[in-house]
Amino acid sequence: MPRLEKFTVKIQTGAQGLGTVPKYKINGFPLEFDTQEGGTGTGETLQVMGEVQSFPHSLTLDGPRDGQAWEIEGMEVTYEVYGQDPFTIRLGGVRLDDESDLNLWYERPAAVLDV
Amino acid sequence: MAAWFSKVFKTEDPTKNSGNAVPAPVKTVATDRPAAYPEGGAPSPHTPPSREVDDLPKARKLVSAPILLDETEVSAWSDEIRIKAKLDPHGYTIVFLVDRPVLEGHSFMARDQDGAFAHSPLAASIFDLGGIVSVLIHNMTVTVNRDGRPDQSVEEAAREIGAQIRAHLKSGMPVLDPAYLDQMPPVEEIRAGLQKVLDREINPGIASHSGYITLNRVEGNTAYITMGGGCQGCAASSMTLRQGVESAFRLEVPFLGALLDETDHTAGINPFFKELPAGMGR
Repeated sequence: MPRLEKFTVKIQTGAQGLGTVPKYKINGFPLEFDTQEGGTGTGETLQVMGEVQSFPHSLTLDGPRDGQAWEIEGMEVTYEVYGQDPFTIRLGGVRLDDESDLNLWYERPAAVLDV
Repeated sequence: MAAWFSKVFKTEDPTKNSGNAVPAPVKTVATDRPAAYPEGGAPSPHTPPSREVDDLPKARKLVSAPILLDETEVSAWSDEIRIKAKLDPHGYTIVFLVDRPVLEGHSFMARDQDGAFAHSPLAASIFDLGGIVSVLIHNMTVTVNRDGRPDQSVEEAAREIGAQIRAHLKSGMPVLDPAYLDQMPPVEEIRAGLQKVLDREINPGIASHSGYITLNRVEGNTAYITMGGGCQGCAASSMTLRQGVESAFRLEVPFLGALLDETDHTAGINPFFKELPAGMGR
């Protein structure tokens, strides 16, 4: 299991916006992101960074609460893993309701070559 | 100490603020908390704790967004067979994606050289290269598990196996022995055999882990399953599938080809982790 040093999430908020800067959970523990740029309003892009320095069994974006829902248009997650080059995963649109969190933990994609 | 751990538990070096290595003595403070038990004494050990349902943390579902892949080059159909090799990080498994069907309607799994030589000229030619543990042929993919050759990097192995697949397909030789296909039992028989193994052996066994496996469908001799309950998202699910379920299936149904897991192991009510106890987190 690789040690995650930090990760950056770029969120395209979509037509509904987020209303608030989300938290993330590592191994079930909720935390606030260490840095944030951009906005959470309609059609804005929010960029947040979490400094983890640990071994994630799970890494999730903490979803909305109290009847809220988010219609995220797209995301880009960049992982900085100890001893490896950073890698980025692009995610498509997803709807989160007040009972759901979003999986953010992905292993480095397998290398593909023409043979 | 992990950065996130310090943030969650607010751990601080006790010598930092006080300049004194001796920690302050712990004081016992009287509080206005109600007595531990109401009149009548402690409840029976058989009485469930009286806790308001609202106090309990709500189970939250984990959802996954679709992963967007870079656009792949789409080429017109040509005589040249194009093959991409997908390498796992450890170099043990290589998935070859061929730009045309390799084996349609059925799939074939060779778990040793004898099985490959008996039934599949393509699998046999791959085993001939050395360092091969198993070969799975299904639709447009050939999945090769290898234990490696010390003289060869995984990239070199991928190129060599890819060239072998291309040469075999160009030669016009059959991928699977026609006699083997003639002996293939009907889908209903394969499905019934697999369901019997699930009902009698596998599901009773994994029920103790609150898990269960569902046979979704059988196409040709390819089986699609879903792992549910405690199996969904379990870190050992892959081992359970490959070493337990697959072995039992193949003993009962030797003609089983590919066994494909359709479970989304990152989604569901409780994959990988449990929610915090009440009072921790928000």
